[in-house]
Amino acid sequence: AQAFAEHYYNTFDTDRSQLGPLYNDTYSMLNFEHSVDRPGQFKGSAAIVEKLRTLPFQQVKHQVVTLDTQPSPNGGVVVMVCGNLLIDSEQQPQKFSQCFQLMPTEAAGLAPGSYFIFNDVFRLNIG
Amino acid sequence: MSAPPQGQVPTFKLILVGDGGTGKTTFVKRHLTGEFEKKYLPTVGVSVHPLDFHTNCGPIRFDCWDTAGQEKFGGLRDGYYIHGQCAIIMFDVTSRTTYKNVPTWHRDITRVCEDIPIVLCGNKVDVRNRQVRAKSITFHRKKNLQYYELSAKSNYNFEKPFLYLARKLSGNAALQFTESPALAPPTVQVDLAEVAAYEKELADAAAQPLPDEDDELLDA
Repeated sequence: AQAFAEHYYNTFDTDRSQLGPLYNDTYSMLNFEHSVDRPGQFKGSAAIVEKLRTLPFQQVKHQVVTLDTQPSPNGGVVVMVCGNLLIDSEQQPQKFSQCFQLMPTEAAGLAPGSYFIFNDVFRLNIG
Repeated sequence: MSAPPQGQVPTFKLILVGDGGTGKTTFVKRHLTGEFEKKYLPTVGVSVHPLDFHTNCGPIRFDCWDTAGQEKFGGLRDGYYIHGQCAIIMFDVTSRTTYKNVPTWHRDITRVCEDIPIVLCGNKVDVRNRQVRAKSITFHRKKNLQYYELSAKSNYNFEKPFLYLARKLSGNAALQFTESPALAPPTVQVDLAEVAAYEKELADAAAQPLPDEDDELLDA
């Protein structure tokens, strides 16, 4: 899980359009700051990566502060990350939390031995 | 608001909203004493810039709230809007998307703050490839907002939104600014002939009936 988070945030911070392989084409779900006026629910790696790619900032840096994991059914893993986020030229970090549910690839009928992000829920922790 | 006792300047919370990258922070930073005295509130992720102005009715202060970029992720939290007494919605005249999102920002404000004075500002009029034509900017007329075109980097129209809000908040339409605040020196120049043409286009558009919603979508 540690290695996963490191890989995920490194990829996000260098070129987030390359995050596709971590999600499943069909089953993955992202909830990113969802609200009624600004829908933020996406399904499948293409839609998810398109959302992340088109977020309107140029530079972003994640810093993981805490990382917790728990087992979930069918060989899955729940990963809860809290950390700081620096956006573009902002001097002040934003607090964020992000929860992943990782599933073994065989659960999606794919070759075993790896994991994909089944659920990804992201929030800024503000006001 | 005439002759307030010493140390009690009438102060109003001003909410600054609009899509990321439209120039909100650049705009608020032009006011030098506000930039010098700004305070960061980490729990809400906001910089508060105290913007002081001098009027013929005495001093007035806008505590101008500016995000640390959270709007680049989605909407802002209610805590940003609560107790807001006036607002500026900013878009970028070189980006149609930022104008298309103005109604959402307006809805966010009015959902929490109800009826407060709001100014719509189209920023970056100094940039050559303008994408939102002056005559297609009609949202303010439907919602009774004031509209100004700005160029934050050149200080063009910097004081206009504040003067409008000060008049609304004081209920005194004759209120005037008696001296200009110290502003950061301009880093670009606006083409005066060009902005005059925009002003004329706006005035002409204001004389036209409002287009249908459908027309506006095609236009914007």
